[in-house]
Amino acid sequence: MTNINGKAYAMNAITPMEGWKTPILRILFFLLGAIKSKQQDLINLSFIHFARWVIVKSNQFPRLAPEQPEEQLHYDYLLFFSNFNGTWNQYIDAFSAVLFNGLNLIWRWSEKFPGAVPVTAFKRYIALVQFDTDYYYTAYPYATTNDVKAAIRLDDGLRAFANNSSGLTPEEFQQAYVNLLVKVQADIGAIGPAPMGT
Amino acid sequence: MANQNGKMYGLTILSPILSDPKIKISHDTALRMYLQNLDRHERSPFTKVPGTHICRLVVMDDVVFVGSPAKEEHLKSKYLIFNSNLYGGVDQYLEEMARKIPGVVDDIWSHCVGYPGVTDPRAFAAYMKKCQVETTFFFADVNDKTVELTLKALWTKVEFTAFIEQNQGRSTAELQREFAAFWERVRTSPPPEAGARLLIEGQATGA
Repeated sequence: MTNINGKAYAMNAITPMEGWKTPILRILFFLLGAIKSKQQDLINLSFIHFARWVIVKSNQFPRLAPEQPEEQLHYDYLLFFSNFNGTWNQYIDAFSAVLFNGLNLIWRWSEKFPGAVPVTAFKRYIALVQFDTDYYYTAYPYATTNDVKAAIRLDDGLRAFANNSSGLTPEEFQQAYVNLLVKVQADIGAIGPAPMGT
Repeated sequence: MANQNGKMYGLTILSPILSDPKIKISHDTALRMYLQNLDRHERSPFTKVPGTHICRLVVMDDVVFVGSPAKEEHLKSKYLIFNSNLYGGVDQYLEEMARKIPGVVDDIWSHCVGYPGVTDPRAFAAYMKKCQVETTFFFADVNDKTVELTLKALWTKVEFTAFIEQNQGRSTAELQREFAAFWERVRTSPPPEAGARLLIEGQATGA
């Protein structure tokens, strides 16, 4: 399935919005960007590599030649692209359970958005507005975002340890090594297989 | 700027796809057939475009009708969405696409309106930027690492985990010597291949 590459799932969704509502959503996104603590739930969920929302105004679809027909749209559109780990159902369930307030704030301006809770109506809506990916590439298909974050913390820790331990006696080295393992124990471990399912 | 999060750039391109009722296989179908067969792993062309963490190509046929009382409307063109999460500057990235994978760029964007070709990488970058839509909000969980550094860190994580296991119970002097050899190997090894299905040979995998 082209939406999936290893442990990453590419999601695309598009929802229509009345043009007068998009400035409100822009302000909300601006605040979300400016107030980092508002992103904490998204960070804590820790299964999204990258995600983006893109507002395309009704007259903003690129027109590059006179022979290309001009779009005549009533609605502005909200595009959503996510690169997450896990299955579609896990993702939507987690979004609905943890981020329902944020999701409602973002999508309540879209036509016929039923709310992020109850999850069944939310899933039906997402399935309706989602469209499939034709080609999906990731530089590290075997890694989740947690794998990446753990690897970077471990790499930083090891680098510091290697620099600081060069002049130690074997006994001092062993003590420092044990201290290192205690410090990085949550970040070591194998990188396991991708989940099966959709 | 909303396209940027730390050192990561969220590039969103909507290229209108050519429409020609006289040809046997429409441009959007030809594009889909081409993308279906494009390698997604270590032989992916995007491994050659520096800075590409994750990218996708999507043929968008139309907008979605969510049901009444919303209004039903349709696009007059189909669009190719190119969406990349990249490290570094966008102008250089787009020019590098034209330089490093000109054949693939040509195979894909020659199905799009106004495509200027790849002979002049700057002209290609300018064309792509005409098709760019500004990202309204861009989230990047890790926003300050190159692809190479990320790959190397992932490999180091697996290697160090194996090192711990293999060196339990060593004497203090042996442990110190083994670690020095391990670190030298890690330090001097190149990062693993981008896009590879497995990080190391024999690693279990799913999809």
